[in-house]
Amino acid sequence: MVSGLWFLAAHISRCNGQVRALGVYKPDQRLGRKAEGLLAAFHGEVLLMAHTDSSKGTASGMERRGFLAAAGATALAFSLGAARAARADEKPKVELGLIGCGGRGHWIADLFQKHGGFKFVAGADYFEDKVKSFGDKFGVDASRRYSGLNGYKKLLESKLDAVVVESPPYYHPEHAAAGVEAGKHVYVAKPMAVDVPGCQTIADSGKKATEKKLVFLIDFQTRANTLYQEAIKRVHNGDIGKVVNGEAVYYCGETWGNPTYDANNPEERLRHWGVDKLLSGDVITEQNIHALDVAAWIIDEAPLRAFGSCGRKGRSGAGNVNDHFAVIFWYPNDVLLSFASKQYGQGHDDIGCRMFGKRGTIDTHYGGPVSIRGEVPYKGGGSGNIFTDGVVTNIATFHDSITNGKFDNATVAPSVRSNLTTILGRTACYKGTTVTWDEMMKANEKLEFDTKGMKA
Amino acid sequence: MRILDFGFSIFDFTLPSDRKLKIKNRKCLFCVCLVLGCASAFGGDAPKPGEVVAGVSGIKFAFIPAGELEMGSPAEEKGREPEEVLHRVKISRPFRMGVTEVTQAQWRAVMGQRRGSFEGDSLPAAEVTWQDAVTFCVKLSDIEKKKCRLPTEAEWEYACRAGSSKRFSVGEELSALGWYDDNAEEKPHPVAQKRPNAWGLHDMHGNVAEWCSDFYQAPYAATAATDPAGAQQGTSRVVRGGSWSAFERGCRCASRGNANPAHQMKTVGFRVVMEVDE
Repeated sequence: MVSGLWFLAAHISRCNGQVRALGVYKPDQRLGRKAEGLLAAFHGEVLLMAHTDSSKGTASGMERRGFLAAAGATALAFSLGAARAARADEKPKVELGLIGCGGRGHWIADLFQKHGGFKFVAGADYFEDKVKSFGDKFGVDASRRYSGLNGYKKLLESKLDAVVVESPPYYHPEHAAAGVEAGKHVYVAKPMAVDVPGCQTIADSGKKATEKKLVFLIDFQTRANTLYQEAIKRVHNGDIGKVVNGEAVYYCGETWGNPTYDANNPEERLRHWGVDKLLSGDVITEQNIHALDVAAWIIDEAPLRAFGSCGRKGRSGAGNVNDHFAVIFWYPNDVLLSFASKQYGQGHDDIGCRMFGKRGTIDTHYGGPVSIRGEVPYKGGGSGNIFTDGVVTNIATFHDSITNGKFDNATVAPSVRSNLTTILGRTACYKGTTVTWDEMMKANEKLEFDTKGMKA
Repeated sequence: MRILDFGFSIFDFTLPSDRKLKIKNRKCLFCVCLVLGCASAFGGDAPKPGEVVAGVSGIKFAFIPAGELEMGSPAEEKGREPEEVLHRVKISRPFRMGVTEVTQAQWRAVMGQRRGSFEGDSLPAAEVTWQDAVTFCVKLSDIEKKKCRLPTEAEWEYACRAGSSKRFSVGEELSALGWYDDNAEEKPHPVAQKRPNAWGLHDMHGNVAEWCSDFYQAPYAATAATDPAGAQQGTSRVVRGGSWSAFERGCRCASRGNANPAHQMKTVGFRVVMEVDE
């Protein structure tokens, strides 16, 4: 009970941080309507969690409908399963395991459950209290709750169809690769990795998944938004002419708050991974990837080199993430991108991208307006609650891909490119020099988290 | 009614007063001679795919047979957008399609004088709203005594591909097929200067994007369908083929565009479908 209360408190704190990070597009206004709605949604989730004990087990007991994860047989299995379903509108159930049962894990598990085509049958987290909280809420049998560093391995050895990887970014490549190796469909949160080898592992896992007829989906919410898709398609088709230059920004308050803890204790670092440079990949990779991914999506190239700087002046607490970045990226055809971010304090919030061509400008804001101005204007509109809607769409895509045997795993390559773009910017900032893409790839630097003293 | 060529030459028509054929490219006269009497315009023996006839208006139409296509693009196609989900579409009825985009001369003959940003009889009629294009088709129907209309999106892609499953209707080299950002010098060009597709249709890639009858939805209904006609409602209409200002990827067979039907755009025109009696 004590650990449960601790978790709730931590969760609320994180949620507040996340809301601030959303950067609702209203210059000089701290929280817009969307963010407030989201905050309410988070509070709603917390209330739900408070009722966990009384609702324990209600999510279980739904009969599984002929799902098989066996390669090549998936679509057929579903069609047979669907035919046997008692109700025609009942979706085939995909049996899921959650790896990473923290705040985000709980939040997304709720959305998976609401989809109706999934059932959580197992959970793994380093921390036992988090697995318990998750298991209690989602009706996961006590025998299928795994903790410790190797808990995910036990989860993957158990009988299930797919895994949702919501662990700290440092562990995503390891967990996702193991999922594919175990023959499971894999749903991975962004960022996919904190270093170049990790990105390579994700890229390889995506290819291997396709070979094994498994779905491997990267959960980038913005890419699932139809306004972004339409506007960027128009740019790709030529509506603003060739992109000359642009800017990407991510301005927000303290995501994950400013917690105090013993930063020499690896378990404490793991609990507070969001403010830990190594475990999160630093702010430019962990959060700012949303802005740089949109720029990369528009330009549709990998940058050639980057120069930049960063610092930590606005934040407090035991974490060591930087809180502001400024980077210049050079792309092929002399396309210049200026990038800036901050993650502290009050004031202007925005996750935005503007790219300029001779015939027009594309202007995008996460949760705010998306439009093209110029010779061929696109009115676009408000992009709404991307934070939730994007995930809901991706979950539906994940289910559809599994049930209909779509294994092209098209989200992987562009997502890995965006992830590497953030690492290039970070490397340039840390070194204070110009770093080329080739140098970064050749260096292949791996970040290492010392787990000495932690439970296996 | 006139019987003409297979679509490989450059013609223009002065309409409607004299209704005489004006052939700019005399080298192609032999084509006319070759085919005269070889095909019937709107009846008789079943026309061959791509067989060209001229309507009463003088507008040339190519015969498009009934058939099937894989609409959309494969995941590995360069420049693909996720909305281009591959699905089987059956076109159950043959139809005829304008060999070229409607030209300014043709527009003037049917609708009367108008001015645009670019002027020239053989240039495509652009800066026409979707409703303007529909009105043109209605008036043309009166002239032709045949139902004329905009193509559905599925008919457009079917006709554009002309049996091809590649990025472009013929080969991989767009510059031979159409006017686009890399070769158009920021302006439209006279129709039918580029190589036609296998069914004799010119400028399906580039020059001006072309209105289709469908409301736009993304992605389109990606299940197997017969004669799909798009969403029941929407706010924008489909345009296809890319334009003189489009990048290569925007001119692919599967590339989808859309526009506000009330807008007049320098980059958007149309071509006509004439229905075939069965």
